[in-house]
Amino acid sequence: MSEEQHLGSILLADCGTVMTKAVLLDQVAGQYRFVAQGEAPTTAEYPWSDVTAGIRQAVEQISQFTGRRFFDAGGDLISPETTSREGVDVFAATASASQPLQVVLGGLVRDLSVASAQRATASTYSIVKAILSGNSQDAELTEESRARTIRDAAPDVICIAGGTEGGAAGPVLKLVETAALACSLMEQGTRPRMLFAGNSRLRRQVVRIVDKRAELHVADNVRPTSTEENLHGAQAQLDALYVQGKMGQLPGISAVGGWSAASLTPTARAFSQLVQYLWHLGDQSAGVLGVDIGAANTTLVAVFDGQVFTTIRGDLGITFGGEQLVRRQGAEALTRWLPAAMSADEVRGVLINKEIRPTSIQQEPGELWLDQALTREAIRTTLRIAHPGWRPGTAQAYPDLLPLCDTIVVSGGTLAHTPRPGQVALIVLDALEPIGVSTLVLDAYGLAPALGNVATIKPMAAVETLDSGALVNLATVVAPVGQARRGDIVLKAKVTYDSGGAFGVDIAYGDLEVLPLPPGQQAVLELHPSRQFDVGLGGPGKAGKRRVSGGLVGLIIDARGRPLRLSGKADRRQSQMQQWLWDVGG
Amino acid sequence: MSYYSFETQITPLTMVRRERMLPVPGDVLVRIGDRVEPTQVVARANLPGDFRIVPVARPLGVPTSQVERHMRVSLGDEVQRGQLIAKRGRLFAYTVKSPLDGMVTASGGGRVLIEASPTPFDLRAYIYGTVSNMIQHYGVIIETPGAVIQGVWGTGGESLGVLKCTAESPDEPLQAQAIDPTCHGSILVAGAGLDDAALDRAQELQVRGIVVGGLPPELISHVERLSFPIVVTEGIGTVPMATPIFRLLTTNDGREASINGQVQPRWGVVRPEIVIPLPAEMVPPAQTEPGVPLEIGTRVRAVRAPYMGAVGTVVALPPHARRIQTGARVHGAEVDLGQEAPVFVPLANLEILR
Repeated sequence: MSEEQHLGSILLADCGTVMTKAVLLDQVAGQYRFVAQGEAPTTAEYPWSDVTAGIRQAVEQISQFTGRRFFDAGGDLISPETTSREGVDVFAATASASQPLQVVLGGLVRDLSVASAQRATASTYSIVKAILSGNSQDAELTEESRARTIRDAAPDVICIAGGTEGGAAGPVLKLVETAALACSLMEQGTRPRMLFAGNSRLRRQVVRIVDKRAELHVADNVRPTSTEENLHGAQAQLDALYVQGKMGQLPGISAVGGWSAASLTPTARAFSQLVQYLWHLGDQSAGVLGVDIGAANTTLVAVFDGQVFTTIRGDLGITFGGEQLVRRQGAEALTRWLPAAMSADEVRGVLINKEIRPTSIQQEPGELWLDQALTREAIRTTLRIAHPGWRPGTAQAYPDLLPLCDTIVVSGGTLAHTPRPGQVALIVLDALEPIGVSTLVLDAYGLAPALGNVATIKPMAAVETLDSGALVNLATVVAPVGQARRGDIVLKAKVTYDSGGAFGVDIAYGDLEVLPLPPGQQAVLELHPSRQFDVGLGGPGKAGKRRVSGGLVGLIIDARGRPLRLSGKADRRQSQMQQWLWDVGG
Repeated sequence: MSYYSFETQITPLTMVRRERMLPVPGDVLVRIGDRVEPTQVVARANLPGDFRIVPVARPLGVPTSQVERHMRVSLGDEVQRGQLIAKRGRLFAYTVKSPLDGMVTASGGGRVLIEASPTPFDLRAYIYGTVSNMIQHYGVIIETPGAVIQGVWGTGGESLGVLKCTAESPDEPLQAQAIDPTCHGSILVAGAGLDDAALDRAQELQVRGIVVGGLPPELISHVERLSFPIVVTEGIGTVPMATPIFRLLTTNDGREASINGQVQPRWGVVRPEIVIPLPAEMVPPAQTEPGVPLEIGTRVRAVRAPYMGAVGTVVALPPHARRIQTGARVHGAEVDLGQEAPVFVPLANLEILR
């Protein structure tokens, strides 16, 4: 019997910034199933200052549902599971509650090496505190002001890129010299680490310059040529720095480590593992996207041709970061998504109240709409950073639009707890603007990070739990691409249900239609776009058939156009938003 | 289902302990058992000062490799502003002078680094009390019997003044005309909110702080510019102050209090607060451990609209989720808020008051 077969019940915990979830998976009739979950506020902060308290509270809820005890009288996890069905065989945890890595980026050109370094940094929980580049607006800065910027930012890491392989040397070394100088201005023990991910031929000189002024790490050049990007080395180094320097500092986390043979995993990494798995299950010519929006972070994972691209905004989530977003971009960034008027002051007030009461929920519709507006904007902001770094190949049918995606999985407490599934679907459509035919999948029970994590411990448990319906089909979306006048017929669709019956519908440009296709039902969808419109079946005007599955919302045909355009007039835009909400049953 | 709510301290009498820590190692100036006053310096440290990177090779017109021979100072030397640090030639000499008082701490690449003398940082006691513990090189713990009220939002730093209630009831806003010259040096206690005129008047009369139930969002930028701290007890908006907080503050009208407007919602949570030292021989046992589950009879405060700031008692904990106005189905509690009938409030929007 292999080691894997010995594993029975699995308890998984995810310590988020605000909420901690616990999930119990166990074998039922020989197959792994999701048995129960619990959720409690994360207790990393005072007065608890110990994440295990939140885990225990979440697990206590599972105990109440299942009648099963998981902790002994001394407070230790009972493992392995006893013959009287107490405890669990395996415990594993993910976490995103730690403070993100604070990073200062340096590079030569903002659109090249700096952009690559930024994408490498965004693959782990991080916040970019400052960027120093050789671009004209930054080049005028003196060495002194650059050193001051670094010292004032007090980062955990200074990541320096720049110089293609065998290319520029002088400006890169100067940047390294400045960074080393800034480090020497800080007290020993508070100095940042330096990660050099630029022209690899300069490594020896970089080592000499930095000397003992900072702990130096080196990684492959993130931009070896002007058209190539190689982020893996830098990503791995930054991930390791986050895990050691930040996750390891989470109060009580060492006790959690003691309960588990598996190492603690960042939530985003576990989520990314799940999205990879979904890509393997689907149409591999298209991509799979995953969106996980938490209280303080937004994670976007894309898989194309088996390559995984993970992007995290460590400073923007549904609870924390909204007020800063409004300060940077103005309240209009959010109010444009609202179906009713809300003043900039009101917006700011609601966002601050949410920050100071992070576990609270909206009780009034206006606050709910604002939460959903922030969700849209957090995803869009993350997408803007992520998209240029993707290599989607043939899935990128139009350069400025989202690549073709077979599946889009959405996760996170806010989305899972959204009152109506139509609202979730509309958030995703507005935020990502998918094209062609995609299936939207909702992580309704908050299992995605847990399943991604368990996939590395016991892959069969992840497979069987997924097969048992751990993720819920939200909708199948058809989004034609093209230009027409509002009201022109752009698509003829016919739905033939496996259970019998069929109907056809003409879709006009500007429409957002929901056709009935409930969960569990299968149908064949025939699509006949007009000559100028592309539904992802081979180009404009190309017709075809797809087998589609039902979902909580049904079959959505989004003919509002790509890119999505909102009315410039507030009252008209609000009516538009209200109409779209009604259209999707939100 | 057990639910562990977050908690806010509104305590009439307890042993208040406050840790006072330097940002960098330094010297602790008091000893265990010492009585301290809020403005007394209890520890001192040197914070890194300013610095200048001074180009030398270019002004002297020499390659970087030759800078060394023209230097008039060495690493570790103290220099005065205007002091010659490098010179080339005799008659029509090229010179480089120090732009500040400090020390030469590094050189290379044709320039030198001069760091100014460190800036002294004084850590004050913040509250009246007795030093109960010392953290070597970092600070002290000071304790005093007293009342503690935690706010939820604030601005500004620490301050000290006499509490002065300007409102008759928790729902009365602070009006400019209520702020008269007797408010000078006081910490004003308002009710539901205030306006620009009241803030201007408070600034003019140099009050030491304001405690208010709710702060209208349009005033956020204004209060961020004030020279005194603000502590908001309920949240952003025009919200009456929770009755137990208002009562506790009015009970202590005229007493000296310490106020801190700092707020940090995560990564080392800091909540704004008011600490009122009290002369007490007997102090009730220290605060209970966190993590008390919500139960029938628990005193709670609603923290989100439409009941934000309302305080009541849990009268029932329905086992099943119910639908609220947003359409969401959530677990909640029935809370007696003094209205005609108990209201259903999501558990997530309740906070235990202790």
